[in-house]
Amino acid sequence: MTTLVELTAVSKSYDGAGGRVLDDVSLDIEDGELTAIMGPSGSGKSTLLNLIAGIDRPSGGQVRVAGEDLARLSEARLARFRRARLGFVFQFFNLLGNLTVLENVLLPAQLLGTRPTPARARAIQLLTQLDIAELADHYPARLSGGQQQRVAVARALINQPLLLLADEPTGALDTHSGEQVMELIQGLNREGQTVLLVTHDAKLATRHAGRVVTLIDGRIHDDTRLEGASPRPESLVRVRIQEDQR
Amino acid sequence: MSLKFGILGLLAEQPLHAYAVKARFEDLLGGSWEVNIGQVYTTLQRLERDGLVEPAEPRGDRGRLPYRLTEVGRKAIETWLAEPESEPQQLREAIYLKLLLAARVANGDLSALLARQRRVYLQRLKDLAVLEERARSEGRDDLALLYQGAILHTEADLKWVDACAQATKTGEDRR
Repeated sequence: MTTLVELTAVSKSYDGAGGRVLDDVSLDIEDGELTAIMGPSGSGKSTLLNLIAGIDRPSGGQVRVAGEDLARLSEARLARFRRARLGFVFQFFNLLGNLTVLENVLLPAQLLGTRPTPARARAIQLLTQLDIAELADHYPARLSGGQQQRVAVARALINQPLLLLADEPTGALDTHSGEQVMELIQGLNREGQTVLLVTHDAKLATRHAGRVVTLIDGRIHDDTRLEGASPRPESLVRVRIQEDQR
Repeated sequence: MSLKFGILGLLAEQPLHAYAVKARFEDLLGGSWEVNIGQVYTTLQRLERDGLVEPAEPRGDRGRLPYRLTEVGRKAIETWLAEPESEPQQLREAIYLKLLLAARVANGDLSALLARQRRVYLQRLKDLAVLEERARSEGRDDLALLYQGAILHTEADLKWVDACAQATKTGEDRR
């Protein structure tokens, strides 16, 4: 396995905001992993994601993604790097309401300059894979939250990113739709897609991620690799039964 | 949970002998507890003495004697089911005591203790989710709810260790 994301002693502070949002964070993410970043609100999860995405720059330390030191890239090259190498899924889908599903999915390919025919073929293939091909000509407003998030996943994957970044992708969905979206993301990971998932939902994280990194107050508090589960009930749950003594 | 009301609840469905009570109880709990047959016998005897159950057939082989609920027994289980539980919160896991002692004894490397505990809870959460799903796929929605309860407790435990870690860190920063 190769290291896809490499954070070395990364810190981040904002002018005016007291203290550091991230403090001395070092973290490697291997190719093919599904890693969940967890932590209470304000712990620095989204800042970490923004630094890896090159949306924000660190105050100290180094962020390398796919071998590129992001600090050395000009804004223009960084923007191109993001389009070509990274896919984003957000909590609130962020689809463009005046474009159809297919046009939304195609947009990052157009921005990257991919030729229309292969881009279209890939978009249709993704929509089929995500089970929403019949919605290609619909506008987002007519779709359910779960369907919109599937479109967002397709859009994130159109340029075959090395890394899929998902920031609370189920946060705006009901339990069932959220579960379906996570099954989808986990399925993509099984096929080799590297995923970085930010969530505050521990059940979701442990169920779908192989690794859980926990941030507390801007520092890595814990980094756990979970074992595949074949649990025995008696080792996990015990209903307390008392013998009545009377 | 009281074995007494567990037995009354099972007998409310149908008359059972002691071994059947044991087997059903274990099945009810999804194999998470082995019930002691001796305890079942003595509890059944007490319930008979108190008029809550009675032999369903003439007394023969002791192990094979089926018991059924009396009217008093049925009222007792109905009353018990309707009452909310208001026992003190049980903090049974040793981590609570460890937390209190570590701050005093171990020169307070609380952060490492909490991180290790967090790992256990994360793995437990993953394992419990598998059990919940398994129970559901086997048509045991009642057992799935029991596991769901355990999952929610574990989520609360996780939040608690994080709150402790946060408090510990804030304390360190102040020093």
